[in-house]
Amino acid sequence: MQAPVQPAASDPMAGLAATFAASLAVLLIGLAALFMATGGGAGFTTETLRRSQVALAPAAIPDFSLVDAQGQLQSLHTLLAQDGRVWIVDFIYTRCPTLCLTLGSVFQQLQAQIVEQGLQRQVGLLSISFDPANDRPAELQEYARRMQMRPEVWQLVSLQEAADRRRLLDSFGIMVVPAPRGEFEHNAALHVVRPDGQLVRILDLNQPAAAIDAALAAGLTPLQAAVVAAR
Amino acid sequence: MSAERQHAGLLPASAAAVTAGALALSVPPLRSLIEQSMVWHMLVQMPLLVAGGALCAAALQRWRRAARPAAIGWLGHINRYGLTGFMFALVVGAYWMLPATVDRAVVLPAADAAKIVSLWLAGAALRHAFGRAPAAVQLFFIGSALPMGVWVGVYLASTDLRLCNAYSLASQIATGRGMVALSLLAGAVWLAGLRGHGRPRGDAAQALQG
Repeated sequence: MQAPVQPAASDPMAGLAATFAASLAVLLIGLAALFMATGGGAGFTTETLRRSQVALAPAAIPDFSLVDAQGQLQSLHTLLAQDGRVWIVDFIYTRCPTLCLTLGSVFQQLQAQIVEQGLQRQVGLLSISFDPANDRPAELQEYARRMQMRPEVWQLVSLQEAADRRRLLDSFGIMVVPAPRGEFEHNAALHVVRPDGQLVRILDLNQPAAAIDAALAAGLTPLQAAVVAAR
Repeated sequence: MSAERQHAGLLPASAAAVTAGALALSVPPLRSLIEQSMVWHMLVQMPLLVAGGALCAAALQRWRRAARPAAIGWLGHINRYGLTGFMFALVVGAYWMLPATVDRAVVLPAADAAKIVSLWLAGAALRHAFGRAPAAVQLFFIGSALPMGVWVGVYLASTDLRLCNAYSLASQIATGRGMVALSLLAGAVWLAGLRGHGRPRGDAAQALQG
């Protein structure tokens, strides 16, 4: 195998320039594709990419018709803009036995912290059901009771039109996957939404304190909040 | 003679069948399989696409050899020792192992089309590369590709994070285990093939002579 000087025909290195150039081109194009697919190395899952995208540039959430536990109709934009509070939003379905219980207890912790720190005017909690076919006002009432929701801190709504479900989930970047026994799996997180309907941050379920900080940072100053409340 | 002709027809037929099977999984009614199960997507459709590309390349190569036995062709010139083919297959494989790209292939038809074309081409490139790579180069490729498969498989099976928004955690765990098994199986098949066809062709034969 050790051939010092060989005629070109049998030299293993001969004619490799084209191959090296082609391999290098394939490698560079491939790395560029990988770079783009990971948002410049921001993450390799859809969830981390969704979060980093929103952190870079807020996403405008479209308006939807909602129904609450009292059967009252309301638009999402009106709800969000009602008093200048920044909202921490999550998605639930009331029949959910597992993840939403976790989410529910995270929201219970958030509720307790908001009350404890006296932040009711600055931060609100909003749970939106993505199962409008099953979650009507009666089911919402039962869920609100079970979660011990305080209406002045934590609001619960469902979509009025079941047909809006897809658009709502897409606008937040939620994917719901059917699981056994009629359940759903979905990417659960804490979504920080400003009163003007801009989704500004997405945080992990285990970061409730960070979600409150993000909401406070995204919101009005206490003075501005007082002016809005006085109006 | 007739048996030989039957055998010769087997390769294009299986190439077409495997490719068609892989394509069928991307259109309804079978599409629901890859939409609902990561196992069907990553362990059935993706390997079938690679196998389909490899079989088609093998059929094409046989037909070309029969027509012009001595020609190397432009592809041969840019794929000496199979280097470019292996590089292409590694890059394509790494790309479609990212959870984010797998999700995209489920949701976006354009991404799904890109997946089909690139994995099929990766299979063809692999076939082209193995035909002209000496055992050492093959080992280098196998030694980087298979540990990647095993590592990703172990990660998918052992993390409690749901990595693909499109699939359930149970589906992800099953896929991880299957990916480890498939990687080990591929390694075993390669070893068996190396023992079986001890003599490589093309560039590899030249390299051995050199």
